[in-house]
Amino acid sequence: MTNPSPVTAPSRTKDGRRAMLPRWSPKLGVGLGLIGAIALFGVVGPLVVGDPNAVRDIGLTAPGGEHWLGTTQTGQDVVAQIAFATRGSLRIGLLVGLMATVLSAVFGIVGSYAGGIVDELFSLFSNVMLVIPGLPLVIVIAGFVPAAQRGSWTIAVVLAITGWAASARVLRAQTLSLRNRDYVAAAKVAGEKTWRVITVEILPNLLPLLASQFVFAVVLAILSEAGLSFLGLGASNSSTLGTMLYYAQNGFALQREAWWWFVPPGLVIALFGCGLSLVNFSIDEIINPKLRDVPRRPGKVAEALRVTPAERGEDDAVLTVEDLSVVYQGDKPVHAVKGVSLTLRRGEILGLAGESGCGKTTLAYAVNRLHKPPAEVTSGAVTFHDRDGTDTDVLGLGPEELREFRWTKLSMVFQGAMNALSPVTSVAAQLDDVLTTHRPGMSRADRRARCVEVFELVGVDPARLGSFPHELSGGMRQRVMIAMALLLDPQVMIMDEPTTALDVVVQRGILLEILKFRDELGFAVLFITHDLPLLLEISDRIAVMRDGEVVELGTAQDLHLDPRHPYTRELLDSFPSLTGDRGGFIRGTEPALHDGGVR
Amino acid sequence: MTTLVARDLVKDFGVRDGLRRRSLRAVDRVSFTLEPGRTVALVGESGSGKSTIAKMIARLEKPSGGSIAVTGPDGVEVPDKDYRHRVQMVFQDPFASLNPFHTVEHHLARPLRLHGRARGAEETARLVSELLERVTLPASFASRRPHELSGGQRQRVAIARALAPGAEIVVADEPVSMLDVSIRLGILKLLARLQKEEDLAVLYITHDLATARHFSDEILVLYRGRVVERGPSDRVILDPRHPYTKLLAAASPNPDARDRVFEVGRAAVEAAGATAAYDHHTGRWEEAA
Repeated sequence: MTNPSPVTAPSRTKDGRRAMLPRWSPKLGVGLGLIGAIALFGVVGPLVVGDPNAVRDIGLTAPGGEHWLGTTQTGQDVVAQIAFATRGSLRIGLLVGLMATVLSAVFGIVGSYAGGIVDELFSLFSNVMLVIPGLPLVIVIAGFVPAAQRGSWTIAVVLAITGWAASARVLRAQTLSLRNRDYVAAAKVAGEKTWRVITVEILPNLLPLLASQFVFAVVLAILSEAGLSFLGLGASNSSTLGTMLYYAQNGFALQREAWWWFVPPGLVIALFGCGLSLVNFSIDEIINPKLRDVPRRPGKVAEALRVTPAERGEDDAVLTVEDLSVVYQGDKPVHAVKGVSLTLRRGEILGLAGESGCGKTTLAYAVNRLHKPPAEVTSGAVTFHDRDGTDTDVLGLGPEELREFRWTKLSMVFQGAMNALSPVTSVAAQLDDVLTTHRPGMSRADRRARCVEVFELVGVDPARLGSFPHELSGGMRQRVMIAMALLLDPQVMIMDEPTTALDVVVQRGILLEILKFRDELGFAVLFITHDLPLLLEISDRIAVMRDGEVVELGTAQDLHLDPRHPYTRELLDSFPSLTGDRGGFIRGTEPALHDGGVR
Repeated sequence: MTTLVARDLVKDFGVRDGLRRRSLRAVDRVSFTLEPGRTVALVGESGSGKSTIAKMIARLEKPSGGSIAVTGPDGVEVPDKDYRHRVQMVFQDPFASLNPFHTVEHHLARPLRLHGRARGAEETARLVSELLERVTLPASFASRRPHELSGGQRQRVAIARALAPGAEIVVADEPVSMLDVSIRLGILKLLARLQKEEDLAVLYITHDLATARHFSDEILVLYRGRVVERGPSDRVILDPRHPYTKLLAAASPNPDARDRVFEVGRAAVEAAGATAAYDHHTGRWEEAA
């Protein structure tokens, strides 16, 4: 965790707000441009063009001269008509957008925050509204209201009523997740009133979602209104793009090839919808940052700077990592692993200790070549020294060789691996899968026998083989994951925080199993965790990592009794001893306030 | 002398089990007293009910039984409407407990205003910087947003927020377990200093026996909602009497005892009555196979 660079306060505030705004992109630029141009036309246009309803005896003149876009059947100027029609459509769109958003916010947010019977009723109501097909209902409602009373308000209300339900469901789901956030609980503990919790704590975090729902409602309203008007069910006294199309259709514009009458309004609808959708994509990116493209520099050299693979050393090494560097490519490349060299010996537990963001997981992934773009190995070599005397250059393996290598020679137990089991098949089937893939020659009975064997190794009753993952406790699932990693008798096992999510008693049981395998099966373990006391107790040697570098590497004994690097000492001091002297830990001085504040 | 007495707290949760509804006892007759200047630690594994107790003390959950009473210095019980002036909470995850939309100032100014500690913009701003100073953060942090702060800095803001109403009783629910190890100590020291300065009563909730021992005066060990052992912290950790406490102490990593023989044998587990393990995913205690 690094200290933020010192920046003056005002610009920080701006940065904070900026996080709530869409990132600038060509998409957003084009979208805003289209919306801006059309909105400007709709607002300013009617002031400068002439009377749209002025009838002249120059019916259906082609564009040119005084009438840029020609005239209609009755000689009305198309430009003037479009200007007024755009204004009408925009007005309906905005009205509907506002009303539908308010409706969906009331039903979605208030209902889900209140919970209980209110939520059930509101949610039932939204669901009923959702299954009623929108456009037919609009047609029925619009048809029932006499044409004389069918003003643009009526149409807007009808469209809003049929258009809010889907948004309400989305908002409900999001509010359900937000209301359980700790900051909402904290606001309650501070004594905030319910309405303030909703408006001040929850609502702002829904803004991007509301904006996106609003934009969507506007698009939908403009399109639906155009459809209604085209069918002759629109507002009787207003002119919108839809009514313009309706008159063009009735005036046989298509048959008379008067394209200037029906193409421009259609185009305005299409472009406006397109612009709003583009803006909506950008808003979606705030809600879901995963949608953002990772900026990649073109022509980036993918070939790693290679170091000649290590010769087999004197000591009984099973895995050698030399000068390995991993970089996350991007606008600002991040060197997650910087020139790390490690040797893992046969039958050894090598601990890799470090805090979040120090690069320990990236290192583990790169050793196994599981790293994904934008992560790239930029230099170094990883060599596997097989029991049978052959050496494998892991970074140089082809895809098929790599598949063969992984799991048979080197297996991995991931962080939170217990959730990596597929919920829909029995654990036996999942273990069996590994064997059928990697050992196609094995008979069914042999595979079964092997599964029973590994289950016994990790201390799970083989009777549980037929169980589904949800029938096993967390500790047992983690044991099953370790059993799976043991299946092919690998020589190296990389374990990334294998016990962090477990309670201490369960953790202790699993650690005992790992120590037992090390002794009985003679494989080597690279054990990654932030828990230094745990490593000190179980590992032979420990590497301490910070900011992508190994700052200290030594035997557990040396590191414990005589740490050399200040960071190692800092880490050691961070863990109070369970049985040591009481008092020194807390009573000592606090870290001093330095520039930029404490961490 | 503001004292909180929790007596025979019980919390039952309704669980849907297929079509039947049954009730699950998360907390079973737990009693303790929080006194100024003293820390009581609740120790237990996940699902033991310790967080539920924290929520009941912070009035985020209603107890199904038992009572929580806060008595003011005048010996009179604090009325309900003033409860939150006195009792505040520091949450576990500082990445979740601050609203990403609001500035640090909002988080501190609201409780100051709500509890009538500050009136007017000027006084609020002054008190906000004072609060920040007390948790060793520069006053310029007031205008920052949570995403601009590190985990430790956020937790300091969360502590300042708990102090803002002038609370005398603070519930700290695993205040350091989500932080990087090198930051934890600083936060615990800060809590210890504030406790001394303000004569706070602290309820420290943790699964970490080592910090519980060093940070608290009294330890209550919880197992499946029940207190199985309680006593002065050194006594409970160094000389545990209940088999479950013994098991917990033995299972905790301890580099000083590197070559010890540890056997989580069936016998030890059964003797402790700890045959069930908590499942994080189903949220249930399940008997070990």
